[in-house]
Amino acid sequence: MWKDIVALFREYMGTGLIVIWFVISLIYLWINEKRKDLRILFLYMPVILLLLYFNPLFAELIYGVVGEEIYYRILWLLPVTVVIAYTCVSVYGQLAAGRQSQKDKAGATEWFCALCMAGIIVVSGSYIYASPAFSRAENLYHVPESVVHICDAINVPGREVMALFPAELVQYVRQYSPVTCMPYGRDATVDRWNYYPPICAEMDAEVIDLEKLVPLAREEGCHYSILPADKELLGKPEDYGWVRFGETDGYVIYRDSSVELVVPPF
Amino acid sequence: MIGQLLILILVLLVIPFVIGGLVTDADREGESLLFRWTGGQFLLWAGFQLICVPLILRERGFRSLVAAFWGYIVALLLLAAAVEIRRWPGERKFPLSCFRSWLRKIQFTDLLLWAAFWSVLLFQLVQAVRLAYADGDDAYYVAVSSITQDADTMYSKLAYTGGGTELDIRHGLAPFPIWISFLGRSSGMPAAIVAHVVLPVVLIAMTYGIFYQIGLKIFEKKDGRLPLFLLFTELLVLFGNYSIYTPENFMIARSRQGKAALGNIVIPFLLLLFLIFLKSLQEKRRIPPLLYLLFCAAATTGCLCSTLGALLVCMAVGIVGLLGSICYRKPGILAPLAVCCMPCVFYALMYLIL
Repeated sequence: MWKDIVALFREYMGTGLIVIWFVISLIYLWINEKRKDLRILFLYMPVILLLLYFNPLFAELIYGVVGEEIYYRILWLLPVTVVIAYTCVSVYGQLAAGRQSQKDKAGATEWFCALCMAGIIVVSGSYIYASPAFSRAENLYHVPESVVHICDAINVPGREVMALFPAELVQYVRQYSPVTCMPYGRDATVDRWNYYPPICAEMDAEVIDLEKLVPLAREEGCHYSILPADKELLGKPEDYGWVRFGETDGYVIYRDSSVELVVPPF
Repeated sequence: MIGQLLILILVLLVIPFVIGGLVTDADREGESLLFRWTGGQFLLWAGFQLICVPLILRERGFRSLVAAFWGYIVALLLLAAAVEIRRWPGERKFPLSCFRSWLRKIQFTDLLLWAAFWSVLLFQLVQAVRLAYADGDDAYYVAVSSITQDADTMYSKLAYTGGGTELDIRHGLAPFPIWISFLGRSSGMPAAIVAHVVLPVVLIAMTYGIFYQIGLKIFEKKDGRLPLFLLFTELLVLFGNYSIYTPENFMIARSRQGKAALGNIVIPFLLLLFLIFLKSLQEKRRIPPLLYLLFCAAATTGCLCSTLGALLVCMAVGIVGLLGSICYRKPGILAPLAVCCMPCVFYALMYLIL
């Protein structure tokens, strides 16, 4: 248990530099802070929280209730941002207060010190927009444009449609179009959930064998199947009753003529 | 689109601001516009949780939730109007005159710091609209919002694949995505756009609004330190990607998810309430009952955002309550604080039983 908690903490703190600054801030506040309310919130509470977090008995209790995956969120109660920001300003303020002769006006030393502290934060942390998960939004829905085009193309007003999508698109489809159903969704793309249906395995194969894929898609009642245009296929789609419905953004949409799609009357 | 945006401005800014008039007396040190907005929004979120969860458990339609919540909003608006009318003859500070006197007093360096703060905030808000963050959890949360807005059901369709299923009680106890559906239905804007574009802008701004209020409580009249404090918080947020688990990462990358609101709005707001609470204890003043009401609202909102919210809010209130009672020798504060945690206890029990 102890090892798990420590490993989780290590993962949470990344390089650990910001957490080191947080601990230094706590020490600074322990020595310098006079206000009782701030000592309670910025010093005593974080210390008690850390003691609780690293207590194996407490951890075991919480693991049992909420699971081990989200135990780290207890650390969200640590006011890391506020405490470090407050400490930086306190240090700056202490220097400024020393300049009685200049009537509290900050001089070059204080500004230099503030800039150094800002620099330390920048170097210790990691720029959030540098994360590779960020990309320029293609539309206001913040989903790939291909998903918008495909879902609009296969949408039948007044009813849901079942469509087979490649794994890279499944997480976006139902955010944009809740009337588009799929035989598997994001649950099949997360390794640790151990859910990998055969139809997903067929879609992920380097060469898609239509002999295997078509019966699986039909079994799931897929009206449409969307395949990457550059994917190699074993067999001709038309031989299996798949009619080419359209092509957009590097994906080919096939309509399975043997799966009935009744358009509701208006 | 403009009409939809105007409705969202009304629902997310104007209505909470008006309703916030009900709780401004929770903080006796003057009326802050931001405190009104955040306080009002917390009253709305708490009400949403109290109305929504029973309807989900009874498998009622989303339409009935929308009607009931609008009824709650109208009731609070009427109450707020009545309170404002009662207060009317009182002395008032008008924001414009306050701003002018602040501008006259402010030093040039402070003005520069404020300009830097606003520029960095604006940058973050623009980035929230301009950049998309690929997060797998959206496949559940945003899909639930879209499904609910489209169909009349709540948590009874499979979010990942579609098709009917048994009621998803575990997620249904923390229906933050349904609130997004409510915003979508009320404005006519698709829930996915509300979640990915509108909410990040509003919630990121609200987080800094809460940091501003915390700064006001910490630095009091030392004007120049407040913008510096806010600039440091901005830096810590912008460079808070030292792991994907930090609240700062959730704030910027996943702000439409309830857990992000828990880490970056509910917990900082609790911190603000603690500051007001402990200051009242320090100055041996009576704790305003409205402050306890806000604690209750924050606790209930914690449950709306995430099922873990119940635990985190109880832990924070418990620790600070105990410390406060020991440090100020006021054991009497523990009972009302425990009552404030009751919504969390109730939802946690429901989570365990159901």
